[in-house]
Amino acid sequence: MPVNIIVCIKQIIDPEIPASQFKIDPGTKRQVQGSHSLVISAYDQNAIEVAVQLKEKHGGKVTAVSVGGASAATALKSALSMGADEAILVDDPAIVASDQQGIAHVLATATQKVGVFDLILTGCVSGDWGDRAVPAFMAEELGIGCVGFVSRIEAKDGQVVLRRVVEDGYELIEAKTPVLVSIISDETNTPRYPKLKDIMAAGKKTIPVWKAADLGVDSERIGAAAARALITDVYLPVKESKCEMIEGDTPQEQAVKLAARLRELKLI
Amino acid sequence: MDFELSEEQKAIQTMVREFAEREIAPVAQELDEREEFPADIVRKLADLGLMGILFPKEYGGAAMDYISYALILEELGRYDASVALTVESHNSLCSNHIYLAGTEAQRRKYLPQLASGKVLGAWGLTEPASGSDAAGMQTTATLDGVHWVLNGTKNFITQGSVAGIYVIMAITDRSKREKGISAFILEKGTPGFRAGRKEHKMGFRASDTAQLIFEGARIPKENLLGELNHGFIDTLMILDAGRIGMAALSIGIARGALEESLKYAKERQAFGQPIANYQAIQWKLADMATEIDAARLLALQAADLRDRGQPFTKEAAYGKLFASEIAMKAASEAVQIHGGYGYIKEFPVERYFRDAKFCAIGEGTSEIQRLIIARQLLGRSYI
Repeated sequence: MPVNIIVCIKQIIDPEIPASQFKIDPGTKRQVQGSHSLVISAYDQNAIEVAVQLKEKHGGKVTAVSVGGASAATALKSALSMGADEAILVDDPAIVASDQQGIAHVLATATQKVGVFDLILTGCVSGDWGDRAVPAFMAEELGIGCVGFVSRIEAKDGQVVLRRVVEDGYELIEAKTPVLVSIISDETNTPRYPKLKDIMAAGKKTIPVWKAADLGVDSERIGAAAARALITDVYLPVKESKCEMIEGDTPQEQAVKLAARLRELKLI
Repeated sequence: MDFELSEEQKAIQTMVREFAEREIAPVAQELDEREEFPADIVRKLADLGLMGILFPKEYGGAAMDYISYALILEELGRYDASVALTVESHNSLCSNHIYLAGTEAQRRKYLPQLASGKVLGAWGLTEPASGSDAAGMQTTATLDGVHWVLNGTKNFITQGSVAGIYVIMAITDRSKREKGISAFILEKGTPGFRAGRKEHKMGFRASDTAQLIFEGARIPKENLLGELNHGFIDTLMILDAGRIGMAALSIGIARGALEESLKYAKERQAFGQPIANYQAIQWKLADMATEIDAARLLALQAADLRDRGQPFTKEAAYGKLFASEIAMKAASEAVQIHGGYGYIKEFPVERYFRDAKFCAIGEGTSEIQRLIIARQLLGRSYI
């Protein structure tokens, strides 16, 4: 049975940059992009891979959706080159500075406009803010079930079997579709490298840009004014290190003193 | 003039960079050490379309432009020059020769196999006593009924012992010197044809280099590639485009040397501070970066001319000459910046140094590049 999937992806500043190059704008409390490249948040790439594998196995359609600025079209092209059939960008200045509930509201309305779907996939946590909040808020908006931290999905007879990663193992959850699933990485969902021909084909596809008004978004629920969560400060943790020499005439004495000091510091 | 890459070119660059970082970089040193041909990597590259970069889709190719081709080879050369050379020689030389000079039947028979990567391509011009001096070629092809019969030896052939399809240049009319040379397609397993000694090289050790031996090798008459006695003219055309690839590969090595040096200079302390604080190091890094960018601009200029169907012989030679020479210089400076650690195999710059030397030799030495440029400047009457 074909599976129609919507994958929500987020473009973020490459999180692999060295901490020394991480800068925060004191006014907006957001990371400064500078010369750093933009990438698809890592777990969102796993979500695309899961979606494309399901489509390859069962048929159906994969639609990638992203809320972001014009640059997010590059992330969507990347999703297309990995095998998504269509991609939609939701870009509207009114959405900027929305909190997690605002973004979830926008994404939920966008998925409703896409139409019929069996699965909505997201990454389990974004590589920038790491709130893990949007998937659950979004499922709530849509009135569908939500299962988080899933590494594998099997589809059969109008339902899905989800392998949810938990401490020390995994749970198998049967869920009726439609359902929203957030994806965690696994050896079976390592994002594929797009082939040259697929990159070229993706380049030729048009990505529709939807505005908040196209989606029937409640304008009272988006933007900075509607945000229920307010970020008051963002700072880089300061790492302090100091060196303490343990004296002693013999190695044995040094070891005893070291053990005593570590215990004093409650490190052992 | 537009220095901006297209979105697709950027996406290709990103894809190959990520592939090289994750799949090639971790094994490059070991492959070099063991002189092991990167067969697994080549299979993966073929799946991505990198073994049929330049020719059209109807032959299984990816129909890429030369700018994209140069970007791909730079990214591969960044971590493993041997992998880059495998891709370069397979695409630029063997495949491109069949695509540009082949009949429709030859294209349909051989190019899809080459693009799939199931069969690798090799290209044989160099002999024990001749290279760019093609008139000194000894290998002959004689027509015998419906067969061409090849006799002779080819030397230093990339993919010599691992290829399945070979393009071989041989003399068909000795009286006409280089205008009596023709090209032929040979398949592995042809009676009378075998790969000889595999070379043990200073660098590019994971790239396969072998001798080819023809002892009455009989191939069907229709395996003549291009017009009779037109092989050398076609060869010059193939080598022109190949130089874009060799330039890009060289830039990859130079960039590797710079990136490793930047990293090391920030980490390594001397006299109480990182060596990056010293102008002696800073100037080396600044020169490396400047020269790499200049080389890249030259290579991309040649690629752009080729893509637009303009003459590019001189510009491709500029690119190959400059990029290969600054690769050696950058690798040498990288070893110097690393000091003793640059001289041992635990750091990759030692390999880059050995690899870089070849770039100013393979597919036409620096001296030949200067000859080509001078001829373009002066005209052939000043030879």
